[in-house]
Amino acid sequence: MKITKRKVKYLLLTMIFTFTFLSILTYFKPMDYLTEAEYNKALAPRVLYWGTQGEDVKKVQWRLVQWKYLVGDVDGIYGPETYRAVRRFQQKNGLKVDGVVGPETAAALGITLSEARPASSAGLNRQSDEYLLARCIHGEARGEPYIGKVAVAAVILNRVEHPNFPNTIAGVIYQPLAFTAVADGQINLTPNKDAIRAARDALNGWDPTYGALYYWNPATATSKWIWSRKVTLKIGKHWFGV
Amino acid sequence: MDKKNRRWLIAPSILGLALILSLAWGYREYTMRKNMEVTLENNYQRLFFDVKKHVENVQTNLSKAMVANSTEQNVLLLSQIMNEAYFAQDKLAQLPVPQADIAKTQKFLNQAADYSYYLIQTHLDGKPLTNEQRGQLANLQENSAAFNSELSKLQAQLAEKNFVIGSLSSKQTARVEKGNENIFQTTLVNIDKNMAKVPRLIYDGPFADEMINRKPVGLTGENISKEKAMSIAKDFFGANKVRKINSFEEGEHIDEVAIPSYNFSIQLANTTDESVYIGISRKGGNVIWMRNSRPIGQEKITIEQAQRKALEFLESKGFKNMEPNYYQKYDGGVLFNFVLTEENVTIYPDLVKVKVALDNGEIVGFDAAQYYSYHQDRNLNEPQLSLEEARSKLRDDFEVNSSRLAIIPKGKNEVMCYEFKGRYLNGEFIIYVNADNGKEEDVLQLVIDENGTLTF
Repeated sequence: MKITKRKVKYLLLTMIFTFTFLSILTYFKPMDYLTEAEYNKALAPRVLYWGTQGEDVKKVQWRLVQWKYLVGDVDGIYGPETYRAVRRFQQKNGLKVDGVVGPETAAALGITLSEARPASSAGLNRQSDEYLLARCIHGEARGEPYIGKVAVAAVILNRVEHPNFPNTIAGVIYQPLAFTAVADGQINLTPNKDAIRAARDALNGWDPTYGALYYWNPATATSKWIWSRKVTLKIGKHWFGV
Repeated sequence: MDKKNRRWLIAPSILGLALILSLAWGYREYTMRKNMEVTLENNYQRLFFDVKKHVENVQTNLSKAMVANSTEQNVLLLSQIMNEAYFAQDKLAQLPVPQADIAKTQKFLNQAADYSYYLIQTHLDGKPLTNEQRGQLANLQENSAAFNSELSKLQAQLAEKNFVIGSLSSKQTARVEKGNENIFQTTLVNIDKNMAKVPRLIYDGPFADEMINRKPVGLTGENISKEKAMSIAKDFFGANKVRKINSFEEGEHIDEVAIPSYNFSIQLANTTDESVYIGISRKGGNVIWMRNSRPIGQEKITIEQAQRKALEFLESKGFKNMEPNYYQKYDGGVLFNFVLTEENVTIYPDLVKVKVALDNGEIVGFDAAQYYSYHQDRNLNEPQLSLEEARSKLRDDFEVNSSRLAIIPKGKNEVMCYEFKGRYLNGEFIIYVNADNGKEEDVLQLVIDENGTLTF
């Protein structure tokens, strides 16, 4: 009967191990992805530092004066005094002491770093395009050289301009069966810095494919049809074509 | 019962409990999956019925447009055709069928919409429809009618068989290859085949075939060899700067891209990897683009210094009279848009982009693809209108800050305009007024922040 007791113990232990393992699998996040704050910084480079001028600096200085970190003028220029005051503030509040007002320090100061826009242009920016493109690049071309990432983004943008395809970036990316990374959910991974850089370069017009509409990896492509495309250029592991 | 027997019960009861739990869990998963499948299927069904309805509307509106005689009625009908065709295209592209099976159909719908927009413009310019345009409309009408009747048949068949569209998304290619039994997909493929026979629409708009297959006009000279291109690439960076140069592998149809080119990846001296890329046109051997993808360090120079560097660089590469326009600061660098100016006229199609690293002022990006696509010798005529006459075409309360003459692209042509930059209700705008007939050709909205300017 001792054996049975041991068996139960083993069973319990195995179950505990399985659960630990499963929960690690579920919640594990590899280190090469950016944290949310880092990502925000990469995406929206609105940070104040030594030498910055403007309304936002005034807002920061005003708070620092109110909270007695800064004795001096609220002049809208991020000079040495503001720098030291920001460092003191960061030290007191357990923030990273770097003398730079980024999203976190700004939040601790209770301000948001964006100027008030007139109604006609409120919310107009390119960030959602950048972000969506970056996600698709990250899902589709993570291991590719930089130019290969830009090329993938360029294909998406070329499709937007082409009558045979949907007319928006989201339309092209989420077209059913168009991209494997979309179908298997890899597109929902947080993009890294390179993917964001590549998305920006592509949006700013760099097209290393000269108008390609298709790309495929010869090692993994499952569709025979793709080989009927006209092959033009190989970048990294991908063939590009029209 | 004695102790022994009860102990013996422990293991089976735990296992039994686990079994019941997993069964309950499994059932829950099953119902959840079922729910999601139904939701997805409902969405697909809705898209399909919508496509059918929108195509129907395109068809009837086209018939009406052919009967209607007044400009007003035609403009209204054409704007509806444009909307309905775009809707149909948008929804069709969301159905789970491979892009290859519906490419021509999408093109048909996009061009129908684009063509309607073009006709609206000609109507507003006061030009009546030509016979040729009537013929094209009749053609469109015929094809949308054929498209619609195919969709009707398909819909009837689907209803009869209780077909589930969602079943297409899994392993469908294999299934189609097996025996083409899948009516849904085969019907769409057939429609697509018929669309391939649709005569090409001749008009001026972004989706017109002529625009898509446009060839660059700015490249002149003989075709060059790969060796020559390689030496051009080396010269671009300067003597002894290039440590290693490799060309990209090319496919057999490399000549069918917009600008046929030789492409190289380069390792510069004092660097450890091939992080610089360059593309050189086969015709004429011009550098089309260059990009150094090195990471950029701490900002050390100002935008003004960077702009001077960029201008010096352009001068040294033979681009004269280039005027800096907008800039975008991102990822440690700043990207300037330079456009050509000739006789005080800003020529927007001739655009060159230069990116300067803000850590040491190095040129890390160069892109002249647009310049070589559009650059040509232009005859700049004297404008028919004076600046004041053009100014009077604007709203009175539009506060003009600056004005100048500019050439902007308009479809496949270019038009000379007066450019007025200014403010309206605190928003920044640019308005282009045709310098010959005073027509308001374009309005751009600017979004300016500390990182540069975006146009919308």
